[in-house]
Amino acid sequence: MSGQRRVLGGWGQVGLVAGREIRERVRARSFQVSTGLLVLVIVALGVIVRVGVGDGPGALRVAVVDADGGALEQALVAAGERSDREVDPVIVPDGSTARRVVDDGDADLAVLAEDRQVLFADEVDEQALSIVRQAWAALDLRDALVGHGLEESEVAEALSARPIEATTLSGGDGDDGLAILVGTLAAILLFITLQTFGTYVLTGVVEEKSTAVVEVLLVRVPARHLLAGKVIGIGVAALIQLVLAVTAGMVSLALASVSVPGEVWSALPMVLVWFLGGYALYSTLFALAGSLVSRQEDAQAAAAPIMTVLIGAYLLVFFFGYAPESTASRVMSVIPPLAPLLMPMRMAAGAASVLEVGLALVLMVAGVVLAWQLAGRIYNQVLLQRGTRISWRAAGAFLRGD
Amino acid sequence: MLEVRSVAKRFGPVVALDRVSFQVRPGELVGFLGPNGAGKTTAMRAIMQLVALDEGVVTWNGAPVDDAARLRFGYMPAERGMYPRMAVRDHLTYYARLSGLDAAAAARAADGWLERLGLAERAGDTVQSLSSGNQQRVQLALALLGEPDLLVLDEPFSGLDPVAVDTLSEVLMEQVERGAAVLLSSHQLDLVADLCSAVVIVDRGRVVLRGEVDDLRAASPVRHLEVEFASPTAWSPDGMGPRPPARRHRLELPAGTAVEQLLGSARAAGEVVAHRYGPPDLSEVFRHAVGRPVEVAPAPSDAEAGRDVGSR
Repeated sequence: MSGQRRVLGGWGQVGLVAGREIRERVRARSFQVSTGLLVLVIVALGVIVRVGVGDGPGALRVAVVDADGGALEQALVAAGERSDREVDPVIVPDGSTARRVVDDGDADLAVLAEDRQVLFADEVDEQALSIVRQAWAALDLRDALVGHGLEESEVAEALSARPIEATTLSGGDGDDGLAILVGTLAAILLFITLQTFGTYVLTGVVEEKSTAVVEVLLVRVPARHLLAGKVIGIGVAALIQLVLAVTAGMVSLALASVSVPGEVWSALPMVLVWFLGGYALYSTLFALAGSLVSRQEDAQAAAAPIMTVLIGAYLLVFFFGYAPESTASRVMSVIPPLAPLLMPMRMAAGAASVLEVGLALVLMVAGVVLAWQLAGRIYNQVLLQRGTRISWRAAGAFLRGD
Repeated sequence: MLEVRSVAKRFGPVVALDRVSFQVRPGELVGFLGPNGAGKTTAMRAIMQLVALDEGVVTWNGAPVDDAARLRFGYMPAERGMYPRMAVRDHLTYYARLSGLDAAAAARAADGWLERLGLAERAGDTVQSLSSGNQQRVQLALALLGEPDLLVLDEPFSGLDPVAVDTLSEVLMEQVERGAAVLLSSHQLDLVADLCSAVVIVDRGRVVLRGEVDDLRAASPVRHLEVEFASPTAWSPDGMGPRPPARRHRLELPAGTAVEQLLGSARAAGEVVAHRYGPPDLSEVFRHAVGRPVEVAPAPSDAEAGRDVGSR
């Protein structure tokens, strides 16, 4: 029985370490509560919007004093259709009734046909006014055509609006605002997730060192496999949380009847790729920072240089993101620590060439590999050095020394 | 067999280990002794391959310790450490898996040790909810999982109550009978003398004494004579000057001293109820080897009135 042992391969060890990380995290009450609250809040937002706003803007209620036997009402409904606004006309007998109805809030506006007057309660609704103008213009035109001897059917034929197609010379729909919005949202999402999950890795490593459990672990698992397992395990737990949040977000949007532009969905895979690259790089560095300290109180101070770079990259999005074609923007968006935030922005704006994206990805992978090599070598030497915080300079000396 | 061969390690200006050599055979329990800072923990870490050595090598069955061999070493570090929020049983099975056991064997090993150490009903509790004594039992179980070939235990008795000390002693004897090699460090020298067949004593990074406990005691250049009088009696042993009145007198003598002559002078001084003559006990051997007063031993040599003499 004592002989039943097997030397685990590297991936076997990484799998066990990652498995523990995922199990313990998902089982933790704090994880369940925070994830539950996150999902609840996101769905609640959708419910609130639905209850508060209803199904989009309501029908335009128009009190009409008509002398023309219903022609104005029909013209108003038709004009409303052309403006994507439902019009709900109500016939009232005279001007004073119309005033009262508007004053009481039972109608949004009143149209007095004989006086050619439009009444609003407080302020003029430009869209409503435009609908009334169109309706009147159509009526006037009809009257004029009939006055020149055309048949009613011919008039109707002449007035029927043919659909118009809008295109741009550049081929897209020309919505620069939306591209910038998507890029900015992606940067914000990436920044928050990299920071949150990086901090999980940081505190997780400090826990292992501060409780000294790392000493019994290191006689079973090499430091680099502990590092890999932790980063992967926390990454998976984080993705579970992220997927639940995104699903809740989709439910919430559906509840609120908000239609999401296709650009947002097509940006998701790109965000995921840069999240994975950014997470691999930053969490490795955060783990390294955690390995330098022996107390949770010192963790933030050790992680400060990494946090500074991450925040810097985030701020650069707002400096260069809006000028995605500039040389500075091109150069910065391929540098590994900056790329995860800047490149998605430029890609959303359609400013990044395939070559640039490819270069950024290659450099990113190289950066991750380099960070792994450095972390693996330093990690091994500092994990058992408990006590005062080890400076980054001293950690660098390990690389040269050993 | 574990062999530590001429192992040296310095940390900056501090020499932690200075060509340390010793062996631990299967079925042997070796006590690793030395004052604080003597290099015991560094040596144990070196055996567990946690320290990059400046010189020397640690071998298991003749070959330098590799990952496969180390997987069969159980280790209890001086600084205890576990995941505080992990359930006890989960912690044990996780570690057993890392030690190369498959899932079923890991579960069996964890349950077996929880039962043996009286922790079965705490299996689902978190480590941090246990008392420090129980946490220490879990830490011991981590070292024992999967019947290791070698146990390296740094101060396994510190902080244990007498009952727990007995349990641990029993467990260690079982491991030795099973054929495991055991190396343990301790400051509780009577305990080491009871349990261990051999000791290695280090001081300032050097091995100052090593061998079988009884041999070391016999080889000591000193002997002790204890004389008990019926009532407090003043006594002037030959060539040692007068001693104030006391019921018990204890003399440290060079080996080979003629004891009968001394006893004659004692009987002349008063009524002798009992006497004992023999080699020094382990703590005295230790004290001599280290060559200066240390915290574990009483002040040397004076035949103090009323001071109890160790049983060995």
